[in-house]
Amino acid sequence: MPSEASERVAGPMLVEDWEQLTFRVNREAYRSPEIFARERVNIWLRTWLYLGHETEIPNANDFKVRTIAGRPLIFCRDADGEVRAWLNSCPHRGTVLCRENEGSQKRFQCFYHAWTFNNDGTVAAIPDDGAYEDVASLQQNMMLRSVPRLEIHEGYVFISFNPDVPPLLEHLGDAADYMTMIEQQHASGVTTLPGVQLYSVRGNWKLAVENAMDGYHFSPTHNTFVGYLRESGFAVTDDNQFAYNLGNGHSLLVLTGHGGRISMIWEPRFGEAEKVRTEEHRAEMVERLGEERAHYVADESHILFVFPNLLLFDIEGLSIRQLEPVAPGHTDVRAWQLVPREEDPESRALRMKTVVSFVGPGGLATPDDIEAYEAVQRGIEATKGAGDLDYSDMSRGMRDEVKGEQGRSIDEGAMRGFWREWEQVVDGGLEVTGTRPESFLEGRNVR
Amino acid sequence: MTQADVRGSIEVAGRTITRGEVEDFLYEEADILDAWNYDGWFALFEEGARYEVPTTDYRGWSLHAGGSFVDDDYDLIKARVKRLKSRKAHAENPHSRTHRLVSNVRLFPGEEDGTLRIRASFVVHRARDGQFDTYVGWYEHVVVPTDEGLKYRLRRTILGHEALPVGARLSFIL
Repeated sequence: MPSEASERVAGPMLVEDWEQLTFRVNREAYRSPEIFARERVNIWLRTWLYLGHETEIPNANDFKVRTIAGRPLIFCRDADGEVRAWLNSCPHRGTVLCRENEGSQKRFQCFYHAWTFNNDGTVAAIPDDGAYEDVASLQQNMMLRSVPRLEIHEGYVFISFNPDVPPLLEHLGDAADYMTMIEQQHASGVTTLPGVQLYSVRGNWKLAVENAMDGYHFSPTHNTFVGYLRESGFAVTDDNQFAYNLGNGHSLLVLTGHGGRISMIWEPRFGEAEKVRTEEHRAEMVERLGEERAHYVADESHILFVFPNLLLFDIEGLSIRQLEPVAPGHTDVRAWQLVPREEDPESRALRMKTVVSFVGPGGLATPDDIEAYEAVQRGIEATKGAGDLDYSDMSRGMRDEVKGEQGRSIDEGAMRGFWREWEQVVDGGLEVTGTRPESFLEGRNVR
Repeated sequence: MTQADVRGSIEVAGRTITRGEVEDFLYEEADILDAWNYDGWFALFEEGARYEVPTTDYRGWSLHAGGSFVDDDYDLIKARVKRLKSRKAHAENPHSRTHRLVSNVRLFPGEEDGTLRIRASFVVHRARDGQFDTYVGWYEHVVVPTDEGLKYRLRRTILGHEALPVGARLSFIL
């Protein structure tokens, strides 16, 4: 009997019908070990991946240990201050080299045979190296193994296991400017803080992407959070809010009716003192950025997905979320708070409280999102092998899309953009009936 | 800092608080939470109290110098209770079944006058969706003796995990 992993996946992954206006995703995409293995090679080992933020390792010799695409890495700043990503594996026999989660040190020593490496990757010491024929070439061959590519945009450090990947900014495309907009919110810039939310969900990583790009779920799923906002004197609306495909699988929700933005849009639950600080900061932004740019930076909430593993929540406050697929039905999630480098202590306290109250596994909203991914992951077992029934529907908004109208945040256009990119990269199989409209909108220029 | 004396009692603002009283307070709370009596739970807090759960990488930084899982002021505790009582708190509808064990209870004088610091260990078992999750850690609470018994000024739960394991979201009270 063939194992589940070796069975061929039945049917195309995406079925688009522009006559019936339907867009359907094969549910095997969420649960097939074969698809997961193909994703690992075609996505995770081929494109740019978010590793971490430069401010997590502010000083020379700082390091964090982190697994990306299943590979244990050391994310560090070497003694000269350069950001590095090393495979966390001794070149000698493969032992995990650094067994601390984080710290600050100039050298990494493997406990097994005491081989020692400088944090710039060079060999510091190989005990009793006189036993080798050519020590100079041994030291050359045994340097720490680097992740082939590393580039940084606005402090966001990306890596690629593919030495031939195009430059980072080419990959980021229109998404890059939304990262710049976050940096521009405060004259002092932004920094991550310690206190990382590390949690795991019993769901496929793509369910987490869909959820973030899905404004349609907000009212029903977050009913209790919307109620809390309403009671505090803020009405949530989904009117006139849009979703954008930014190309290369990146997507964006622009939200203007979902709540205040600390230091930029005041709402009653933030309190009167914050109102004054908000007005002052907003005026400073206009002076620094100009009226129009300040408007885009300050007055809109953005949820940005950078394909394939980064979500930036530029909402009430700022948070970075990284997705790390472990298995088809298991995803590790890491979330950092991003805050202005300089901030009034009361605003900071308000910011932290407000962000955590919404975002994260102990918040008033994210647990319901997690419930949704987990319930989908369990529920789709019901249609396994059921052919045409084993598809999820993401057609909402296609009616407007054929008319050339910009997709709303409460439609499913951003998800369709993600899945189209995914299908191309993974080569999952696409069936298109009718003609895809020319009107399919990409990008959004606010520079 | 002095610990409770050998009989396990401590003087707070002229009152003698015994370890037995503190244990009863913690056991009672465990029953209240396991029974999903959230109004009863909210009544254990004094006005202005806080509920905090730092992240698993917590290394003792001061409040708001780092992120957390829960950073509730009194209004947010109230909102959390209201949410958990709602049928629309999907992550807890149906409710998790929980079973709590509290142990290693120790008493210390609080930093503020009239307060008492409690340190205790917990194991919380949680069953839901065909899964069984275990949470372990310790409490670092600050309580105030009142005429109606002990009340929380700060209820603080510190996880012993390296990360929240799969499925182990904090949708209920830890």
